[in-house]
Amino acid sequence: MVARLTSPMLMLLAAAAVALAPATMRAQSDTSAFYQGMNLEGAGHFRDAAVAYRRALAQPRDRVNALLGLERAYARVGWTDSLLPTVDSLVRLYPGEAAFRGVQLRAYTMLGRAADARLAFESWARRMPGQPDAYRAYARLLLQQGKAAEADSIIRMGGARLGGTTSLAMELAQSQAALGQWTASTLTWRTAVAGNPGLDQAAAFALAPAPATARDSIRNVLLRFPPEAGARRTLSELEMVWGAPAAAWAALRDLPADSATVIAWLDFAQRAEAGEQWALARNARVAALRWRPEPGLSIQAATDALNAGDASTALALLPDSGLDSARVAAYVLPVRAQALAQSGKPGEAQALVRAYARFLSPGELAPLQEAVAFGWVRRGELDSARVALHAAGPGADSSAAAGWVALYEGNLAGARAMLKNSSEVSPQLAEALGMVTRVEADSATDIGAAFLLLARLDSSGAAAAFTAMAPRHGDVGSAMLALAARIDEARHADSLAVAAWSQVVNNFPKSPEAAGAELAWARYLGRTGRTADAVTHLEHLILTYPGSALVPQARRELELARSAIPGTGPGGGRP
Amino acid sequence: MKRIRIRWAGWRTAVLTLLLPAAAGAQHLLVPMDEAQSDHLKAYGLTFATLRMGLKAEWLLNYRGGSFLLPDVPELRREAALDGVSVEPMDDAGLAAVRTLIQDSNMDAIPLERAPRIAVYTPKEAAPWDDAVTLVLKYAGIPYTAIYDDEVEHGDLSKYDWLHLHHEDFTGQFNKFYLTYQGAPWFVSMVQASQAEAQKYGFANVPALKKDVAERIRQFVVNGGFLFAMCGATETLDLALAAHGVDIAQPFSDGTPMDPDADAKLDWAHALAFRGAHLETSPYINSMSDIDGHQVNDPARRQPLGTFTLFQFSAKFDPVASMLVQDHRSVINDFYGVTTSFTRATLKPGDVVLGFEEGTPWVKYIHGDYGKGTWTYYGGHDPEDPEHAIGNPPTDLSLHRNSPGYRLILNNVLFPAAKKKKLKT
Repeated sequence: MVARLTSPMLMLLAAAAVALAPATMRAQSDTSAFYQGMNLEGAGHFRDAAVAYRRALAQPRDRVNALLGLERAYARVGWTDSLLPTVDSLVRLYPGEAAFRGVQLRAYTMLGRAADARLAFESWARRMPGQPDAYRAYARLLLQQGKAAEADSIIRMGGARLGGTTSLAMELAQSQAALGQWTASTLTWRTAVAGNPGLDQAAAFALAPAPATARDSIRNVLLRFPPEAGARRTLSELEMVWGAPAAAWAALRDLPADSATVIAWLDFAQRAEAGEQWALARNARVAALRWRPEPGLSIQAATDALNAGDASTALALLPDSGLDSARVAAYVLPVRAQALAQSGKPGEAQALVRAYARFLSPGELAPLQEAVAFGWVRRGELDSARVALHAAGPGADSSAAAGWVALYEGNLAGARAMLKNSSEVSPQLAEALGMVTRVEADSATDIGAAFLLLARLDSSGAAAAFTAMAPRHGDVGSAMLALAARIDEARHADSLAVAAWSQVVNNFPKSPEAAGAELAWARYLGRTGRTADAVTHLEHLILTYPGSALVPQARRELELARSAIPGTGPGGGRP
Repeated sequence: MKRIRIRWAGWRTAVLTLLLPAAAGAQHLLVPMDEAQSDHLKAYGLTFATLRMGLKAEWLLNYRGGSFLLPDVPELRREAALDGVSVEPMDDAGLAAVRTLIQDSNMDAIPLERAPRIAVYTPKEAAPWDDAVTLVLKYAGIPYTAIYDDEVEHGDLSKYDWLHLHHEDFTGQFNKFYLTYQGAPWFVSMVQASQAEAQKYGFANVPALKKDVAERIRQFVVNGGFLFAMCGATETLDLALAAHGVDIAQPFSDGTPMDPDADAKLDWAHALAFRGAHLETSPYINSMSDIDGHQVNDPARRQPLGTFTLFQFSAKFDPVASMLVQDHRSVINDFYGVTTSFTRATLKPGDVVLGFEEGTPWVKYIHGDYGKGTWTYYGGHDPEDPEHAIGNPPTDLSLHRNSPGYRLILNNVLFPAAKKKKLKT
């Protein structure tokens, strides 16, 4: 198979070729047919590029690269069959040149001439009896075509003729994986990645499709003593793909610290951040920090800790020295101010922001003042929050943050007006707006107080408050109960969540929340092993709310509960 | 449309109470099976449920993709709503118009009277996801009983109307997987269990046990049973039957070499579908015979997948064949199995070809009568997993609710429910 080269890749190839060529030859090379071919190929003129590459074949120095270029160009215009006379001649003239042999093998394969490909492989293997190249190239092509059993037989043939499969380890591992021999494949990959650290991605890619039943065996092989960095990196990649980020970190965390391990930890931290696994990212960066203490790394670790809701660790991680004031303002201050505000010290946060205010633009200052304001909110000091917001500038009084403060004060009219114009996109905002827009009154201190409890992280108090006020607010009561149920479910207060779902379903059957509450209730019942009860609720949901957007989800849950479709359990199947 | 009221407790009683009045109201539910159907596979389950409730249904051959006509009773409406099956209420006037159209076209209405008793021949430890038929039966909510060698040897086949076989190797050679999977735990376990089973019934080896099982299956068909086989079971059942007096098994399965003259000694009169096929004599080539056109497990012989076309029959003159090809698509993507297709040269003259690939020497889907019963062979393993390999995740049929390939399986499940009409030919 010929990979398409993009223009940047071609430029890189050209640059590399130029850099490697002796200086005296560069002037000549720049004008050679080969470079013309590269330029034409880069411009998308594949037929003209092919003509240039054919001319370049006359230059011994350019012959290999020219043939590779010709292979690419012909493939792009669908003329791979035209490559055969050229490559066959070159193979006859230079039978020991592996690059020509490889092109010949690929050309026959691309053209679907399996018998000729086999003959080409056998000729190559005979010509270079002690070399693994022919076996590797042919086995890879067969694997790409999904012919795992045939690839396996080629590798075994190579192993027998070469005295072992060490040099064919990667191909062997791939064919074993393709044949479903997961343990054997993992053992082979473990050996392969030990000798070549760059192979861990390939190993993870090959092993990722393993069914759930085979995964423990794969884990056992890769975790086997002594710990090897390549094997652990492979396992970490696999665990991420299999949706177990904590296990992915566990695979790496006890590796002996050295520069390569630190790179692995930092790579993991980046992947964890991409998946918003902040606590794991923090752990990885903290581990790296012990080996490589750098201010930038400290700030990143503190940011991860802050995102994970761990303000005290964030404060402990932030560097105290080594940065000038402008850098502190740019990089440390945002994290420290937010961490102080989150950890109940908005006064300290306010002082810090004030101290560095001269280094900050209005656009940088406003979010910090909002963070300080929310710090005051968490302490229940709404007046101080307003003062903090006011310090952010004239626009802050009508900002979304001011809208939140208005909501906490029970000023629903103000909250509606300010939150509606917010550019913030968050579930919390949607939740709050969804509720206050349905309340007809302009003020409701009980609603404000309940949201304030939520903002102060008093989830138990907030859920109780929403539940208690539901009967007083007519139709909006269903939204309050649904919110209370979600809070209680998140804090594992299952009986309270069930009580709230039950009230929504039974007392507010026509409310917008009813279908969602019943689905959540059914899922909870399914999770806790009460399948029959879950089925009853799912059936009721489907029959009662046939037009609900949740019906497809409910129907899928029903099929899973009835074992009508396979779950996420073991795969399998004999052919 | 009637409003459905669900009582939290005792709704089943309420539904049963409502059955008779609703049915007496002469209202009908049309289950369209053309592109308007949202879940073709569960539509068969709904029809099957109708029969299990003791109610009658009709199969409107060639009308809107082979639609079903069910009585309009609350329980069926409820099941349809739960399963996401599209139904269209129809009054007597509407039905009369449909009947007129059926009368004047290549269509027919076949009464469906009794839910067939279904058995699937499968090892006890096999998950439903191992076999396309059990997969779709589970999905459609059609009950079945899993049976294996014990039940067959005890004579239990007579308890069932319909029997399905999937990738069992009735030649007793474990699909020749010995070549590739001799160390795989599932393979070792399968071999050990089969050998223990053979010893239990006094057979010298697994091939001998499987030949006896094959013969009992043949007797099941002779006595009026409906046999449906897919994948490797099609080819190997016939090979086992034809080899009733000759050793065709390789040494790895019975310890003795196959009879060097086995090919000539095969008794094809004893087989259901094939004749004149040639055995693959090499133990190192993963192929049983030249019955299979695609030879997927031998890279040098493997043929690429194409599409197969369903033959269109006269609904009024060939109702059985028509039932078996009812579908909303007439051209379907092919899919591999241990046996993927059947070479035309090995078909018996009386075989009815239901599905074939244009311009190739093989067919996909065949049917025939044998004794008082019938057999249907459908090549391939899983219609929605064309390149199925060991270890692949199971197919989630909720993602293939309208699978035309799976519909052919379910046609076979419902076909035994049809009231036997005297054929006009």
